[in-house]
Amino acid sequence: MDAYDEDSREPQAPDGPAGTRLPDQPPRPAPPPAATPEPPTPVSPPEPPAPVPPPGPRAVVTWPGARADLPAPGPHAGTADTGPRTNGPASEPRAGITGAGPRTGGPAPGPHAGAVGPGAASRPGQAVPRPRTGVAALSPGYQVVAALALAVIAVVACVHLLMVFFSLAPSNTVTKQHGKAIEEWVYPEFEQNWKLFAPNPLQQNIAVQVRAEVRMRDGGLLTTAWTDLSAQDGAAIDGNPAPSHTQQNELRRAWDFFSATHGADNRAIGLRGSLSEQYLRRIVVMRLYRSDPASRIGVIQRVQVRSSTTNVQPPSWSRERVSDKPVYRLLPWWSVTPDEAAGGVR
Amino acid sequence: MNRLSLTLSRGVDQVTGVALGPYQSAVIRIGFAGTWLLFLLREFPHRHELYGPTGPWGWNLAKQLTADNQAFTVLLWSHGRLWFELCYVLAVLASAALVLGWRTRTASLLFMVGVLSLQNRSVFVGDGGDNVLHLMSIYLVFTRCGQVWSLDARRAAHAAAARARGERVPADLAGPALWAVLGLALVIAMGTGRFDNGWQIPVLLWTAWAGLGLWWAVGRWTARQGPRLLLDVIANVLHNGALAVIMAEACLIYATAGWYKVQGSRWQDGTAVYYPLHLDYFSPWPGLADLMSSSGTIMMIVTYGTVAVQVAFPFTLFNRRVKNVLLVVMMAEHTVIAVVLGLPFFSLAMIAADAVFLPTSFLRRLGDLAGRARGRLARSPGRAVPAPRPKEESTADHVGFTA
Repeated sequence: MDAYDEDSREPQAPDGPAGTRLPDQPPRPAPPPAATPEPPTPVSPPEPPAPVPPPGPRAVVTWPGARADLPAPGPHAGTADTGPRTNGPASEPRAGITGAGPRTGGPAPGPHAGAVGPGAASRPGQAVPRPRTGVAALSPGYQVVAALALAVIAVVACVHLLMVFFSLAPSNTVTKQHGKAIEEWVYPEFEQNWKLFAPNPLQQNIAVQVRAEVRMRDGGLLTTAWTDLSAQDGAAIDGNPAPSHTQQNELRRAWDFFSATHGADNRAIGLRGSLSEQYLRRIVVMRLYRSDPASRIGVIQRVQVRSSTTNVQPPSWSRERVSDKPVYRLLPWWSVTPDEAAGGVR
Repeated sequence: MNRLSLTLSRGVDQVTGVALGPYQSAVIRIGFAGTWLLFLLREFPHRHELYGPTGPWGWNLAKQLTADNQAFTVLLWSHGRLWFELCYVLAVLASAALVLGWRTRTASLLFMVGVLSLQNRSVFVGDGGDNVLHLMSIYLVFTRCGQVWSLDARRAAHAAAARARGERVPADLAGPALWAVLGLALVIAMGTGRFDNGWQIPVLLWTAWAGLGLWWAVGRWTARQGPRLLLDVIANVLHNGALAVIMAEACLIYATAGWYKVQGSRWQDGTAVYYPLHLDYFSPWPGLADLMSSSGTIMMIVTYGTVAVQVAFPFTLFNRRVKNVLLVVMMAEHTVIAVVLGLPFFSLAMIAADAVFLPTSFLRRLGDLAGRARGRLARSPGRAVPAPRPKEESTADHVGFTA
């Protein structure tokens, strides 16, 4: 994938693919790239103690180019991720990615002045040739572990992507056969839905309206007029650069949840059906206590919800005509629990 | 054959030796964490209604649903209001820490816990933006996203510079302390049976915690290079794998959105974009929406263009220039969506996801600009003038620290 735009035409580090360069080597005549891989034998038991960089001045020049890529985690537990590689121009040698050749004056000498962990201070200036990174730098025993890790991580990543792919794809032969395994992998934390306005965008305004039976202070029962809660949401969203989820999603999605878990006869389907009913009721009661004058002074006994679905009128330049009459779906009256009635929902 | 094995071994060198895309991973870290931070601050006045124990999606309702779907949330560990407030504040702080790159790996874990806890507590108040953040917060945990543009990188650079001067760098105390506190929290959660609902996230938390401890211990006490290198290799492979998953996930998002649209009659007749613009829930600026939809030709172009871009995007990754053009188009479209449909947080999250495909050269320039802007701010009158930097520090390569 050419995702990153590294400029492949940019001069590569002389010694081959990024990540294999030994920054502390003097700029040798480029060894043929083929020299880099040869896995098992090469580097590890350190090459003979390389030219010891004079500690003083060199150390000073060092760090900008010094690639802190010795896995020498300082004693900071929390920073493992920045790990050794955080030393900035450090990212340099990754020619392939940063597009940077060895431009900080090339291989910086006295490398691990900046790299070695806590121990470094105690042995300043002592130079060990910097090993290569990646598997090639490991001794055979560790190479096995690293290869294993690489294999496991690669497989898990691929399986994960496949699982997500199948959870998104339309029902097909594979998903019919392995639906259960896919669901178990993806749910609950990797659940996703990207059918954004697809296959067709919603073309109706669905408003949730409510009326209540309120016990007034004098003991009488009063039935309020219909309150259009969605219209209140719409008014709150108008001219609002950052609408709240309480205005844009709460009621809208509660209604979606309700209608998805109820049959045409308004009967709840399963656990989710009953949960969605309670949720919707708690929302409307909460909102009535906030905004409905009668409810504010009385105690709500029962509520009735209805949805009003109105077609979005087609654009003026279209010759289509659709009805502009709202279609109502009336739910039965629901009794409000004492907790909800007492304004327990906030 | 020889060439194949050469390519293969180079590839292995690459994915084991380097954590690729340091700037891309940093920009998505800042993007996702920043989006969530802004969202949490925006919803601060509404936090009880959305996620609190007495909100409409009450504690008992959420408890029943999570018992059924096994979703992870710490908010249902206690009914108390204090616990809720504490979690919300911690979620804010974790996002801020991740934006800044302070103890990045730990911050990313806490960020994930915050995102999952709040969203799984009240799944029915979220939208597409929340969904993106939910997934990415998990993937971010596996990346080394603090290599540049982070406080961690700056601290590491300072320490390295000090060592280069032969000074002794004081041992880090905050890291181990943070680690100990988290360990205690995990033990308590485990001991009180809070991890009984679903095993994935608790296992991830324990593994990450153990990994951080191991990393520290190996760095502190092992003189040998082997274990360090091995941990480094594993961290690189994890990072590169996660980055690939993040990029693939972005492609899946666009491909799903695009391919399903192709089948829709409204997308075919060129009017689809008109309808969301006229839904009461997505029209904060009705006048603007009317203006945009005043011409059938423009609507058709936008409608077809949207589908074409979404379907095409994954394939354009094979060509750098086309990909960059499409990135600009998509980021522009999301900016328009942010305003016109009133979905700023969704759009920000999507732009952050797009940013993983931005070219390194562009990101470095961006960092450079930000660094210079900060420099100017710091030098403005009334503030202490910072000591002049060593010369080499002002080269373009240092964007990483100054931004």
